[in-house]
Amino acid sequence: MTLKEMEKELALTCIQSEYEDKEVTVVYTSDLLSDVLANADDNALLVTIQAHKNTVAVGSLKGSPAIIICNDRPVPDDMISAAASEKIAVYTTQENQYTVSGKLYTLLNGKK
Amino acid sequence: MHSCLSPCGDLLMSPKTIVETLVSKNIKLAALTDHNTSLDTPAFASCCKKHNIAALYGMEAQTSEELHVLTLFADEKTALDFCAGWYDLLPNVINKPDKTGDQVYVDENDDIVGEVEKYLITSASVSLDELAKQVHKLGGIVIPAHVDRPAFSMTSQLGCVVDGDWDALEFVKPDAAPELLPSAYPVTTSSDAHYIEHIGRRAFDLDIGEVPLLDSNGNTNLEAVRAGLSKRIVEPLKK
Repeated sequence: MTLKEMEKELALTCIQSEYEDKEVTVVYTSDLLSDVLANADDNALLVTIQAHKNTVAVGSLKGSPAIIICNDRPVPDDMISAAASEKIAVYTTQENQYTVSGKLYTLLNGKK
Repeated sequence: MHSCLSPCGDLLMSPKTIVETLVSKNIKLAALTDHNTSLDTPAFASCCKKHNIAALYGMEAQTSEELHVLTLFADEKTALDFCAGWYDLLPNVINKPDKTGDQVYVDENDDIVGEVEKYLITSASVSLDELAKQVHKLGGIVIPAHVDRPAFSMTSQLGCVVDGDWDALEFVKPDAAPELLPSAYPVTTSSDAHYIEHIGRRAFDLDIGEVPLLDSNGNTNLEAVRAGLSKRIVEPLKK
């Protein structure tokens, strides 16, 4: 599944679209950036409510293709511009981290 | 303030340059608080003592809740001892200077003494309450940092400003403090300077009366600082 396919499947709102459409292979869900740094796999797409530019810095270190901000948290402009310069897609959704993670898990691991 | 040791701090922020800037701005009391480390405090101590600036030594610690807390001691030795134990509790994530910035500490002449291996913007496996307990046991001061900011703060991590054994609460916008305060606390501000030009912004006056700010060894009198903080207590808004 590519980022664009994921955006459609999960009905996400893309608020930072300067990115290269990549395959989503691994996802990490956490609201502690230090936990992401210590435990997320490289290239993991991030699911979180931490809507600030520090999340982009961590995503950049991990090689994340995208960040999904849950619960419709407002995203500040400096986060969007930081993500644009790192070519990391940023999406928002009104759904919470559990729901988004469940949907991604199902899509990546096949429906039973 | 941060020095060149914080990965996000400007390399020009050496203790020597910081202190020269403090002198030029007539600042009498200043704290060096790098992210999760105090390794630049010996150079800071040496430079401050040359210019009779009262220094506080500590760090901007990141607790397991992923919020920032200022720990302040009167002497660099206590700060260094505390930071040595704290470093062991940071996760073993190695810094990549090309991606996240340099983490070098220097002497009072700007010569590099060493480099910190672990990435410093991570959380130690110690809670906010436990950190406060440990710092107070060593006679230090505990101030949760920028509690009203949307990242790495009580508000972002706990949802609100919480009561606890804090010597003060640091706000970016202190005018909004009464709305957020759970109980009465001294309120402070700080420059959180990462660049020379930010040193001294959001400075405040500390009323210490007639008590000398420095002791005979040139160390800062923490009791005078505490007494000054007690005159900055803000009452929460009655709901």
